[in-house]
Amino acid sequence: MADYSKKRFLVIDDQPLAREALRTIAQTVGAFAVEFATNYQDAIYRIRNNVPDIILCDYVLGDGRSGQQLLEELRRFNLLPDETIFMMVTGEQSYEQVVSAVELVPDDYIIKPFSPDKLMLRLDRIMDKKDFFAAYYKEKRRQEFAQALAILQAGRDSEAGRPYRFETLRQTAEVQMASGQAESAEATYRSILENYNFPWARAGVARSLHQQNRLSEARQEIDRVVASTPHYFDASDVKASICMAQGEPEEAQKVLDAVAKKTPRNYQRKRLLAEAASLNGDTETARAALADVIANDSMPGAISAEDRLALARSHVAANDPISAEKVLVGLRESEVQNMNLGEQASYAALLAISSPGKGKPRFTGLRPALQSAELTATARLDVMRAALVLADNELADQQCEELMRGTDARKLFGAMRGLYSRHGREMDFRDIQHQVALKRIHHDADVGDEGIMPGSETATEREHALNCPG
Amino acid sequence: MQHLLDTLASGIHDSKNQLFVAESLIVASEAKHQIDLGKARYAIEAAADRLSRTLAAYRLMRCDVHLAVVPGIVSDLCAEVALAQQHHLAATGITLSVDCQVIDEWPLDRDLITDMLNNAIQNAGRFARRTIALSAVEQDGGLVFRVDDDGPGFSSLPPKMNTGLLVAERLAQLHVRHERQGHLRLGNDSPLGGARFELSLP
Repeated sequence: MADYSKKRFLVIDDQPLAREALRTIAQTVGAFAVEFATNYQDAIYRIRNNVPDIILCDYVLGDGRSGQQLLEELRRFNLLPDETIFMMVTGEQSYEQVVSAVELVPDDYIIKPFSPDKLMLRLDRIMDKKDFFAAYYKEKRRQEFAQALAILQAGRDSEAGRPYRFETLRQTAEVQMASGQAESAEATYRSILENYNFPWARAGVARSLHQQNRLSEARQEIDRVVASTPHYFDASDVKASICMAQGEPEEAQKVLDAVAKKTPRNYQRKRLLAEAASLNGDTETARAALADVIANDSMPGAISAEDRLALARSHVAANDPISAEKVLVGLRESEVQNMNLGEQASYAALLAISSPGKGKPRFTGLRPALQSAELTATARLDVMRAALVLADNELADQQCEELMRGTDARKLFGAMRGLYSRHGREMDFRDIQHQVALKRIHHDADVGDEGIMPGSETATEREHALNCPG
Repeated sequence: MQHLLDTLASGIHDSKNQLFVAESLIVASEAKHQIDLGKARYAIEAAADRLSRTLAAYRLMRCDVHLAVVPGIVSDLCAEVALAQQHHLAATGITLSVDCQVIDEWPLDRDLITDMLNNAIQNAGRFARRTIALSAVEQDGGLVFRVDDDGPGFSSLPPKMNTGLLVAERLAQLHVRHERQGHLRLGNDSPLGGARFELSLP
């Protein structure tokens, strides 16, 4: 039995009576310091300021927020050390359904009513588990992935690790994904599935296949998950990302629209919806979703430069240069200076389109750098868009070619073609497409099969694949 | 129909929240006055279990049950069942022993299985003379829980099933893995001389 007198408890519940009840129970297990948080924001504020040792959080937090959402937000902003215990408290049997499906789970959950003894039993078990993983948590935090994996492997083979086999595999897969070993992650998730068909493990397979650019296989796996566990909303996000990569933004938007309505305060999902809507040419949905994100994603530091650029981009796409300029000019010079190269390129390109007087000189000044730098696909698309508007065909075609050669070719194909056709250059676009396909065929013939087009067995099929999207 | 289910579920949810407040007030009184009100707490938790089981039975009748399968540590599960029942049984002169031989995690619906075992032990408690034994073993690649007692055994086999047993049987069958299905067996072959409740999970 652990000593809870020195542990700092935080009880999160919007109902005063239930808060008192949780405090009483916590004090009975020996807790001395029990703090309260009365709502979502209050909880985040308190955890940011001083991380408690043990969090008892009610699943229903009022105001359309849930404990699960709080947990996801805390993990997203890295506010919850692995050593902290997060225990969900719920009267809802339906929360079990959530826990059995999703990847991001609390350390445990407990169904009301429960006795102090039962809570203590559960907390003791979690402490044992945290002790078992303690060395791993340290390496993971330092991003020493090889070390972290070695510790997990040793734990898996040990007698003491037997009760934690699934958790060890789950952590292994996560570290493999985080360190770019998608193939190994896939194998790990599959070994979990061999034992039981957990939805989160199958979604993991889909994510690792996506990372390997094996899109149709990824799609097949995630379709199974979404069909069998419709309440597992994160799976819909994964599906939407895969659909976008496959060049099917319409399907992506449909999927996201449906889940975003059920989770109106999930702003990461809103960002994804905006991305799908933009690719789909639905600029109004994109604008509304991004405006909602910027107005309401209230966590400090949640709104990034990329969010503001995305909003400006959606205004540009909606032919509303005044709103776009307003967003861009609203960025402080220091914020612009702190942007990475891709963001600076996007900023210059979008400003050149929405406010040529202010933006064109900056864009022209950057031109040599834009031609030679390795840019993200989003930045390249912005540069291409601006170059088309400014009739700088050489720059536009160069960016277009780079995009078509990259891994995001399918994803951005429709958007690229739309922009070229808006400027009456559809034929030129087809030429570039053809050139890239030919170069790929020659390249593959020279160096063997390293093509990026998934599922294509021959050079002709590869050319076909490149012609397919949109 | 979905509306009716939502209404029932939310009513049960609210009731369980209220029961939790009641239990915490009892806990506070126990601490303040240094008394044991374990019987009152047991009654509250039994009422909450009964509410959950009623909802599960209703869902089963509507064929609307989805298991929430998670990797569960079998010995933890047994320990929790013992914690919930031991004290109450001791008050009636019955000893509950636990023997868990399974170390690894097992994919199961933890809350439903816990509830089934609690229910089986409560049933056994009505007939046992002095002893009830809860055990868990791995057998033929499956997981088997047994609740044995030293009572008179079932008067007829197969016995008449109450709601709890009917729910347990259906929920056991819903556990499917590697194309094998869970099942329930009731018999009088307990080594303690009485009835045996046997729950097998794939």
